[in-house]
Amino acid sequence: MSHHKLEVKDLHYSYPDGHKAVKGMSFCIHHGESVGIIGANGAGKSTLLMLLMGVLFPSQGEVCVGDVHVTKKTLPMIRQSLGMVFQDPDDQLFMNTVYDDVAFGPRNYKLDEKEVEKRVLNALELVGILHLKDRAPFKLSGGEKRAAAIASVLSMQPDILIMDEPTAALDPKSRRKVMELLTSFKHTKVITSHDLDMIFEMCDRTIVIKNGEIAADGVTSEILVNAELMDACGLEIPLALQNCPVCGITKV
Amino acid sequence: MANIMNSLYNMRLLDDLSRQETVIHKLHPLIKLLTTVSYLTVVVSFGRYEIGGLLSLFLYPVMVFTLGELPVKPIFLRILLVSPFIIGIGILNPFFDHQIYLLGGIEISRGWVTFLAILIKSGLTVTAALLLIATTGMDRLAGALRMMKIPRIFVLQLLLTYRYISVLMEEVARTLRAYSLRAPRQKGVHRSAWGSLAGQLILRTFDRAQRIYEAMCLRGFTGEYHTGGFKEIRVWDLSYFIGWVFFFAVARMYNIPMLIGSLITGVIR
Amino acid sequence: MHMADALISPLVGGTMWVATAGVAAYSIKKIQSEMDEKKIPLMGVMGAFIFASQMINFTIPGTGSSGHIGGGLLLAILLGPYAGFLTIASVLTIQALFFADGGLLALGSNVFNMGFFSCFIAYPLIYKGFMGRGYTTKRIFFASILAAIIGLQMGAFGVVLETLFSGKTELPFGTFVLLMQPIHLAIGAVEGLVTAAVVTYIWNARPEILEGAASGRALGNVSIKKVVAGLIAIALITGVGLSWFASSNPDGLEWAMIKTAGTAELEAPDGLHQQLSDLQTKTAFLPDYSFKTPEAETELSAGEEEETWPAISGGTSTSGLVGGGLTLALAVLVGVGIGLLKRRKYRTNS
Repeated sequence: MSHHKLEVKDLHYSYPDGHKAVKGMSFCIHHGESVGIIGANGAGKSTLLMLLMGVLFPSQGEVCVGDVHVTKKTLPMIRQSLGMVFQDPDDQLFMNTVYDDVAFGPRNYKLDEKEVEKRVLNALELVGILHLKDRAPFKLSGGEKRAAAIASVLSMQPDILIMDEPTAALDPKSRRKVMELLTSFKHTKVITSHDLDMIFEMCDRTIVIKNGEIAADGVTSEILVNAELMDACGLEIPLALQNCPVCGITKV
Repeated sequence: MANIMNSLYNMRLLDDLSRQETVIHKLHPLIKLLTTVSYLTVVVSFGRYEIGGLLSLFLYPVMVFTLGELPVKPIFLRILLVSPFIIGIGILNPFFDHQIYLLGGIEISRGWVTFLAILIKSGLTVTAALLLIATTGMDRLAGALRMMKIPRIFVLQLLLTYRYISVLMEEVARTLRAYSLRAPRQKGVHRSAWGSLAGQLILRTFDRAQRIYEAMCLRGFTGEYHTGGFKEIRVWDLSYFIGWVFFFAVARMYNIPMLIGSLITGVIR
Repeated sequence: MHMADALISPLVGGTMWVATAGVAAYSIKKIQSEMDEKKIPLMGVMGAFIFASQMINFTIPGTGSSGHIGGGLLLAILLGPYAGFLTIASVLTIQALFFADGGLLALGSNVFNMGFFSCFIAYPLIYKGFMGRGYTTKRIFFASILAAIIGLQMGAFGVVLETLFSGKTELPFGTFVLLMQPIHLAIGAVEGLVTAAVVTYIWNARPEILEGAASGRALGNVSIKKVVAGLIAIALITGVGLSWFASSNPDGLEWAMIKTAGTAELEAPDGLHQQLSDLQTKTAFLPDYSFKTPEAETELSAGEEEETWPAISGGTSTSGLVGGGLTLALAVLVGVGIGLLKRRKYRTNS
């Protein structure tokens, strides 16, 4: 299904103050792939996500979703097929009940209220928080907020899920739950994170970014174990792969 | 600061209460809003010396309290915190009006009667507003506002303010904690930090607004706010409204306590 | 300085509601025509910030007391007058609903007192006047203080007038003004100082935020002509309201005049109340003063205005006391009764 592919061609972006955040990135993500994007702070991950979503527009190069270029005109269409989960759920859950929040997207696309309800209940069911539908966001735990934020994107029925730090600020159990949830989705997934163990578990492919350029792009199990590459990009190999401090077994 | 955190707690309490499912909670939000406004108008229309007629209006809050199964204590505590402004204005009355009024054989100055009338009115109006929100909740009230054709922009903005009060209060509280830990002997924020402390909070708020705006746009926001469908107004809702308005009108036109009182005293004689 | 429901009359409250709704509708139209939908979340979150900022105590040097961010002026500077006004309106709405500050009927007055004067008078005429020649620290300082003081003085005077026109308290005009204005001079000075400090910081850190509002490109453009036109419209509305007040009660306006001069005793029957009691006189069919006739008592209570009150017989006041006590008891009894019934229903259900 080629219409679900996400392609980036020679992407450049500079901020108004002249800072070049993205310098010539190119890659293509195919249907059903699960791709991790990693890099040190300030490497350009967030800018890249903003460019993918059409919040920012590239100064040079282009982003294509399926066969459609991301431009001001195509945005409504693009945003239906791309769903983005923000790092801070408080930014994403801006309504006063979980239900209204999950319904915000479908209502904006002027679906009739029955269809909206169906989609909302379906999305809440999928992430397992149907019982919280009338809660206020400030009444939710960190994990529940994350689930609600994911549901608010699922109700738009996107083909591609883009997630910024989906496991940030979660306790270990909630983190595990979110990871299981994300693994259960058949969507194409793009995940940026510093949680390299999560990337190692969930993504088959990893793109490493350094100073606005792609430093590596390939199979996760090969890239994350490359200590030299990781070190050069301000990262380190996942904890699960590091030498065990107790028994001293060398894993890599 | 403790006082403000208290307000936050109070706000959350009201929000929780509004999610109950009683007869009153199930009434149409628009009906409850209109009933409240009629009630307030009638309460406020009483003159400076008319305490008698006001008393029959206690029936409304009592009914809503019981039918809505609301806890009396926390809401009552809130009412006791009458704004100092009202007390300040009211307490001066006895000094300006010394006309003597004979009440059951006791001579009192008319100024005290005015003060009492202001206090009763303040209690009733404050209660009515709190009861409205405790039985309706902000989101359903916003729906009622939309039904009254209040512009979408304002309603959405009102909802956003309500939503982010708790988020921003926590943010400000964190900043103040960090400040006070490094400035142990200061009561408030020193003048040298006024601009930077509040200014940085504002800049962070601007950044947050930008992220929220992006989150909204990504889900198809184009400046229009779409509420779902409206609940229908049932016959029961209408009769609730008409019933109360009728009672308010009667209570306004006839001094019910005086009627009861003269009946009783008349019978005794 | 929230105006409270308990102090306002329906007429004054209604008039101020109309005025505020007019200004709000105009502001909304302005924002919509500028197509600046980005402002909407910003207005919402800044409203929440104004709430949260009440937690910050700004210590005033040398006094031991502390001040807070007021809101109106700062919002106008950061968001422009239209968005600033709407933001203040939503902040005050939530305060009226959840914190019982002010009240729903007094909401119109409060938004007008705290929003209109700072956003549409102090900001465009004073603050922008200073800033027309560009931002400097000194100008920010003087403009903020002056604008804050003038905005608050007008707001406080608004409270005084609204309270007096409502006639729910007996405070003479002169005393009231002497109470309100000096206090708000101090509050205004502090608010001005804090606003100046904050604006200076933001001007240094992110000047584009301020220029957007001040250069009149996005939303900041207020033409003085429109402000004046708005004021005239409001004066007209108030005038119509007042003349109605006056015609329904000829003594009313005269009273207001005397009061404004600050001389005579306070002797004002409420206009609307007068009408209602007229209606009552018409509906009461036995205008007779005897003990056992309920309708007569009604008539008496209706007539218990200033003239008749001191002459009210002891019998009437006793009935009043007895009846008042009984009514309250009855109300509580109804509540307790319903509560008991409900509990029993629960028990049988469970």
